[in-house]
Amino acid sequence: MELQFTKEIGSLRLGNGDTFHGEGILAVTKALLQSGVSYVGGYQGAPVSHLLDVMVQARDYMDELGVHVEACTTEAAAAAMLGASINYPARGAVTWKSIVGTNVAADALSYLASAGVMGGTLIVLGEDYGEGGVVAQERSHAYALKSLMWLLDPRPNLETIVDMVEHGFELSEASSTPVMMELRIRACHVRGSFKTKANRAPAVSKKHLLEGPPREFIYDRLAHPPATFRQEKLKSDVRLPAARKFVVEQRLNEIFPGNENVGIVVQGGLYNTLMRALKTLGLADAFGASRIPIFALNVVYPLVPEEITAFCASKKAVLVLEEGQPEFIEQEIAMFLRRAEVGAKLHGKDCLHMAGEYTAEAMVRGLSKFLAQEAPHLDVSRAKQWLERVEGVRAKASELLAALPPRPPTFCIGCPERPVFSAMKLVAQDIGRPHVSMDVGCHAFASFEPFSQGNTLLGYGMSLASAAGVAPMSARRPVAVMGDGGFWHNGLLSGVASNLLNRGDGVLFIMKNGYASATGTQELLSSPPEDARSRSLGQSAAHADRTIESTLKGLGVKWLRTVDNYKVGEVAKAYKEAMTSPGKGLKVIVAEGECQLERQRRLRPAVANQLSAGKRTVRVKYGVDEDTCTGDHSCIRVSGCPTLTVKDNPDPLRRDPVATVIDGCVGCGLCGENAHAAVLCPSFYRAEIIQNPSGWDRLVSQVRRLFA
Amino acid sequence: MNLPERPITILIAALGGEGGGVMADWLMHAATECGYPAQATSIPGVAQRTGATTYYLEIYPEKRDRLGGRAPVLSLTPSPGNVDIMVASELVEAGRAMQNGYIDPSRTTLIASTHRIYATAEKMQMGDGRFDSERVVDAARELAKRAVLFDMRKLAQESGTVINAVLFGAIAGSGVLPLPREACEAAIRHGGRGAEASLRGFAAGFDIAAGARPAPAAPVPPKRATELTEILRIGKERLEDYQGAGYARLYEERMQPFLAGDPKLAAEVARHLALWMAYEDIIRVADLKTRASRFERVRREVGARDGEPVLVIDYLKPGVEEFASVLPAFLGRRLVSWAERRGKLDAYNIGMHIKTSSVLGYLLVRALAWLKPWRPRSYRYGEEQRLIGRWLALVSDAAARDTALALEIAMCAGLIKGYGETHRRGKANFLAIIDALVENPPTSDAREQAAAIRKAREAALADPEGKALGATLGKPVVWLKQVART
Repeated sequence: MELQFTKEIGSLRLGNGDTFHGEGILAVTKALLQSGVSYVGGYQGAPVSHLLDVMVQARDYMDELGVHVEACTTEAAAAAMLGASINYPARGAVTWKSIVGTNVAADALSYLASAGVMGGTLIVLGEDYGEGGVVAQERSHAYALKSLMWLLDPRPNLETIVDMVEHGFELSEASSTPVMMELRIRACHVRGSFKTKANRAPAVSKKHLLEGPPREFIYDRLAHPPATFRQEKLKSDVRLPAARKFVVEQRLNEIFPGNENVGIVVQGGLYNTLMRALKTLGLADAFGASRIPIFALNVVYPLVPEEITAFCASKKAVLVLEEGQPEFIEQEIAMFLRRAEVGAKLHGKDCLHMAGEYTAEAMVRGLSKFLAQEAPHLDVSRAKQWLERVEGVRAKASELLAALPPRPPTFCIGCPERPVFSAMKLVAQDIGRPHVSMDVGCHAFASFEPFSQGNTLLGYGMSLASAAGVAPMSARRPVAVMGDGGFWHNGLLSGVASNLLNRGDGVLFIMKNGYASATGTQELLSSPPEDARSRSLGQSAAHADRTIESTLKGLGVKWLRTVDNYKVGEVAKAYKEAMTSPGKGLKVIVAEGECQLERQRRLRPAVANQLSAGKRTVRVKYGVDEDTCTGDHSCIRVSGCPTLTVKDNPDPLRRDPVATVIDGCVGCGLCGENAHAAVLCPSFYRAEIIQNPSGWDRLVSQVRRLFA
Repeated sequence: MNLPERPITILIAALGGEGGGVMADWLMHAATECGYPAQATSIPGVAQRTGATTYYLEIYPEKRDRLGGRAPVLSLTPSPGNVDIMVASELVEAGRAMQNGYIDPSRTTLIASTHRIYATAEKMQMGDGRFDSERVVDAARELAKRAVLFDMRKLAQESGTVINAVLFGAIAGSGVLPLPREACEAAIRHGGRGAEASLRGFAAGFDIAAGARPAPAAPVPPKRATELTEILRIGKERLEDYQGAGYARLYEERMQPFLAGDPKLAAEVARHLALWMAYEDIIRVADLKTRASRFERVRREVGARDGEPVLVIDYLKPGVEEFASVLPAFLGRRLVSWAERRGKLDAYNIGMHIKTSSVLGYLLVRALAWLKPWRPRSYRYGEEQRLIGRWLALVSDAAARDTALALEIAMCAGLIKGYGETHRRGKANFLAIIDALVENPPTSDAREQAAAIRKAREAALADPEGKALGATLGKPVVWLKQVART
């Protein structure tokens, strides 16, 4: 795994009255333990990866508490795991990145929500919406509505988040319903503190075993007809009122009073941004005292009609601040107000944009519009000046700088996936560009320059499946690229099995780097075994596991090659053969090369030890001869390595910058291999620097010096 | 009690692997230890994977125990115009912050390193695609309340640490935060590993931002030869080194007709002629790769210390063209035309990893360099001299009509560079432009013709597939590899 959570594991043990300092998502982890959770599962993905990663690393402590931790292979598996709380009083929590994870989990979630739960269940969603989001932009809110599961959106400070985790379990139990909690990216990574409580031993756990399966057969626990019809009615007749009662009694939503007769209803997660916007308007101070009353919804579903109408009753108008589309909350509030015949005028998406993040700037604009209509006596000229000023600064900067070069993320230095795309680019020069279906993972960076490839991206592990309809209509075979993470997540069944069943055609690249690398190098079923890793140090250990190959063979894949990624020429040869061979059928190329992050993590301390012990150590770095490089940069167009860059041409007669390899090169050798495979130029060299040289090294070196 | 109106806000734009997260931790730790309410958050995204990433902190500049139990509401999101300290670990990222409105002339102190990490879009261009650093520096001085700009990467390297330590020093030294130097240094020590090196970097950044020590001078860019006399001198030296005094004399003779004319044109012709005449064949490459100065340069570039032997392995892959280039003219011509007809120009390349630093490898490569006296009889020599002659004649003819036109034609020589297919592509582009716009011009107006040539030349450098040039000339530009394929 990419990060070591040694310090964080320590803070999971904090007891009554201690102070936790750290990240939001780790505060959630601690809150789960304080709530007496029995089991935890999930699938990694920013911004919630750390929740599970820290628990996996804290396995000893989890065993001590009796908490079972499972790194599930998909979000569907994680959601299904919550089935343990249907029949038993065990609290369970799972986590994943949303919207994508919730989509994958949806099937099991529907059944879970239908059957209802006995033990509290909490689903922690990393709401990947707005700046920094890397998935399709959708809200998780719709899932709460259609399944009648409850959705928490706590104010983004550690006390409130922790409090909502604890109350979330109680709410779940009080209403027999799974509870989801959405945390936006910045809330997951916010650093703050809260007063801790001692961890609670789970009611049922690995240490307190159940006596056995339920004594009686209760059909209603199964989400199967005819029980499903009754369950569907239970949701709204029994569970919803119970949940609303709990929300009111425990005061989960918060009212911040003001002295104007207009009000604001805001999703809890947006509260801090709202306060900054009000401050900019001159309507609030730095401590959250606002002239306009605020109703902060820490529970965004279900809403409590009485709470809403009570807040709105005395007001001339209210503004609903709800991020993303459609305006679910605003619609529901409109219904409540109409039914109760509350006269307050309702604003929301008429004042702010429908889609995308609500930044402070967007809120200032929206609030200005709202107040101009409903509270014109308030002086908001400060906001107008501020907005004009910001626009002026932006315009000036654009005028001074024009278009800046974009900087999308790219493959790491020495990444084993880059050479595969180099090979694909070279082969495309020979046989033309194919249709490429991309997948989710590091390899999606190949959609950026210098590779600029990929025609579709349909979800995790979906690349081959998304080519199924393309292949029969295409003159040229389509190519699907998939990571090993995606392969185990979904690609094996949705892609490979489906292709074989339908006797499909096409080429599939599986990037066998050994881990779910994009999310922090979590372990996979096919991760190289520990002993192979410790032997390999800086070398790739990916070859030490053949689970992917044997699975494919067992499934009936006939055309299967495993290639060493860094040998670009060989990758290109295998790929060209797969693309051009006459026989129909799935061609799979397993592109092997262990994630460079993992290799460097092993290598660095080992090299440091070797050097300090005075042992002979060879360091490899690549370079470009500046006097033979002519500055065409073909090498960069087939690589994109961060350490292969340009510098001023040292030749006073030339103008174009020359290529150069800067510090940070890990000596993967791709630039040299590319120079060979693409027949680029003779400027690349490999240098082996012998540190702590032996006497023999020194002697040989002196002899050589006689010549050059 | 009069409490501060608002928190101090710090927005940090960094790239993956620069320790932005650690710096945010230092700031949080220092602020918390000093008793100030503080909050940090981040959009790490794919930080480890080299993308741009941001960290955002707010520190309320009054101690918690004087707030009467109240806590300020701190924002998780930066807003334009509300940033007190904007930190950019790279220069263009500072530019991006300006364009996003985060740098306010009355409020924002900008702390940015002036070094560049070129984006792929800049470095993959066929010519010079680098963004002009001066523009960002000028804009920063105009837009920021105060701009602290110096090469922090260099200072970090000198201090044996990462750039985050120098940036942290500069933040502390800028005097905007209520955090004393000792508290910041304690935060670094608290972080543990590598603290001593970090403290060195911190001190350097602090002193420069506080004005106690001058910022290091920017490195002097390599000199460009622009004056005719200088170019002629360098050209002559280079060609003497390339093929002897006679060849250098040929250069001078070729330049003779231009010396009396427009000096700018003469300089451009002299520059391109020298480069072209010193074309890179395997003899030249072998010569350059086996010089003592080269091995010294490699040692410098890879950071080898004294006493550390360095082995150099060269990646060479000569093919039909390289072989033909040293054959006698009549044999070379037949071989190349056979390979072109059969589409075999790239079919027989031999990939070699030659350990040029070993005795055998050195002798092997050096042996090629010893072919120098043979070069004037080689096939490639004849081909190059013929094309040079044709180009010079065209420039000369045009100069009689219009200097600007002649200059444009002269500059077309810059299209031919590189090796193998790159060279073939460049030459095909050159010939396509010469054919369509110089030898068969669509217009008799010299200014229009010059503009058309310039446009075509820029198009030729727009993409390696020749799409833009094809569109500009109205017909596809094909080089041999594609011809062979059809």
